[in-house]
Amino acid sequence: MLSNEFIAKIEGHGAIHIDWDKNEAKLKVLEGERLFEGMLEGRTAEEAHWITPRICGVCPIAHNLASVMACEDAFDVKPHQTTILLRKLMLAGQMIQSHFLHLFFLALPDYVGIDRGTELNQKDPKSFKMALILKKVSDEIVHTVAGRNVHPTTTTIGGFHKIPKKSALKELLEMLKKTKTAAKNTVKLFSGLNYPQLKVNLELVSQKEDQIVSNKNADSSSIKNYKKDIEETIKEGSTAKFGKYKNREIMVGALARLAHLDTEKKSGPDYQNPFHNNLAQAVEIDLYHNQSQEIIEQLLRDGLKDTIAPKPINFTQNKPFIGIGAVEAPRGGLYHEFHFDNKGIITYANIITPTVQNLTSIEKSANALLEQFKNETQEKKKKLLEMLVRAYDPCITCATH
Amino acid sequence: MEKLIKPKIAIYDFTDCEGCEVAIISLREKLLELENRLNIVDWRLAQEKKEQGPFLVSIIEGTPITPDEIETLKWLRENSTYIFALGACASLAGIPGIVAKEEREKFYKQIYGENYKPVGIDAVPLSAYVKVDFSIHGCPVNPDEVVRIIEELLAGKKPAYRGCSVCFECKLAGNPCRLVFGKPCLGPIGQGGCNAICVSGGSPCYACFGQREDANIPALIKILQNLTSREEIERYFTMFYKHMPEWQEKAKELLK
Repeated sequence: MLSNEFIAKIEGHGAIHIDWDKNEAKLKVLEGERLFEGMLEGRTAEEAHWITPRICGVCPIAHNLASVMACEDAFDVKPHQTTILLRKLMLAGQMIQSHFLHLFFLALPDYVGIDRGTELNQKDPKSFKMALILKKVSDEIVHTVAGRNVHPTTTTIGGFHKIPKKSALKELLEMLKKTKTAAKNTVKLFSGLNYPQLKVNLELVSQKEDQIVSNKNADSSSIKNYKKDIEETIKEGSTAKFGKYKNREIMVGALARLAHLDTEKKSGPDYQNPFHNNLAQAVEIDLYHNQSQEIIEQLLRDGLKDTIAPKPINFTQNKPFIGIGAVEAPRGGLYHEFHFDNKGIITYANIITPTVQNLTSIEKSANALLEQFKNETQEKKKKLLEMLVRAYDPCITCATH
Repeated sequence: MEKLIKPKIAIYDFTDCEGCEVAIISLREKLLELENRLNIVDWRLAQEKKEQGPFLVSIIEGTPITPDEIETLKWLRENSTYIFALGACASLAGIPGIVAKEEREKFYKQIYGENYKPVGIDAVPLSAYVKVDFSIHGCPVNPDEVVRIIEELLAGKKPAYRGCSVCFECKLAGNPCRLVFGKPCLGPIGQGGCNAICVSGGSPCYACFGQREDANIPALIKILQNLTSREEIERYFTMFYKHMPEWQEKAKELLK
């Protein structure tokens, strides 16, 4: 018979096992192994950024850019300012796409008493309309810059195969201006939800320029040390590894990014409640919506350099080609590392995804929840645990790549 | 209005990136229209509701890699009138299919270490285990094609494959031919339906929509041999075609 244990409404296949006697929760990741790091061996740099977006259909842009940047790091390619801005724009679009999907289709149903996200159309048509507006504008950003909503087609090492026309950017700008209210109202909607009151001593970690920074410890570290600092261990019954940062349980993603941005912390999310990651994502929708508009205005002001074709790479030089690409993906810090031989063929690949880093924290928060809600019924606790897992927006397919 | 009978549909995802489901959600208003005409009784990514079959159609995304997925696939076959493969992972084994079964052991050790107990068996298309009635191709699927195919089904028709090659759609899109400019391309053997979106963006075509009818692989390989190395031709074909008998038999022979 069929196993029914998968948690619904999360990206990928995971389950939570609760030992009621011990009052203890264990997270199980049950996705099949695709072995991307092995698959990439024998492939070229241009194939790498074609293959890695397929790790995750929810955040393909982040994987694509991490791969492109790892290759550029290896080959010492410096992209043009237009390229940097266009990449920032497609990543902003990706943030809104991914947060939209999570907030409206996976998380919100728990809070408004519906099952499938599209039922919001009956329950709260105004909010549903707002959600579709955000989906449309974010898809449009990604489609215009990256060539397709899911899995980009225009990017390449050093630049873009094709860049958007000025007229397309102008249309996008108009669309962004018209949809500003939808982004603002999303923050209002998610500020008003009745989040479970959970208190966890969260260490929030995010990339900041070329550093990895934490809100609890001042021991920021270069991204180049990612492999040493983010330790992955295997766990029985789980096809994803569980990560720790400098041997500490950390949370990455929207809440963490915001904690490092919003220094005054006067309003907005409670940074010790993982459920508030939902609110942080809503705040980020507004933030990246604004950022998209600013980038397009800058591109239109400064002009698009349409000669950003990549330079041919000289593979004959006698040194190892090793590169690291790091991106703040929707769910947090993402790292790709490639080694190439002198023919430009990948000999080694390593990928650390945000969800791998979050898995350890999810379990910690789950156990905090069982303790803090111990007087609730088992049924209620189970429901809350599922909501908690969803709040982290885990991407299991990213975690088991 | 007369009450329409809504067919029972299940949507499943096995091991994959879930990008095809994301593409379906990108349909927005059109998705709502489709939903009004279907009774989606099981869809893990989108709902908790989970009813038992029988289903008119089970739409399955992803590669059945784990024993649990293979068992589920067989169960779905028994409980569904039609099985539709959604996307390249389900129809061709997709990107996971790049890893051959005999390589898995080595990669498990390399990636997870010596103490890991592997779960996955092999990355193969759905058709390796059950009969597939129709493949909605693509990596990812073209959402408009999903609408067309479901509408054809609802109209009581047997959904049709696109009769044209990617080349035909590529010409319509006004792209310069990659092969003419000395760049490898699998467009000539690939089935259309994608509107040549990858070539339009400047990327290669790996024919993720599956082979077109009467695809002439030997002829394409001859052309490619004039353009590039054996290794590159092999890399192109093994992006989506590692599990295709046509590639395994004919093409390997030709590349010797």
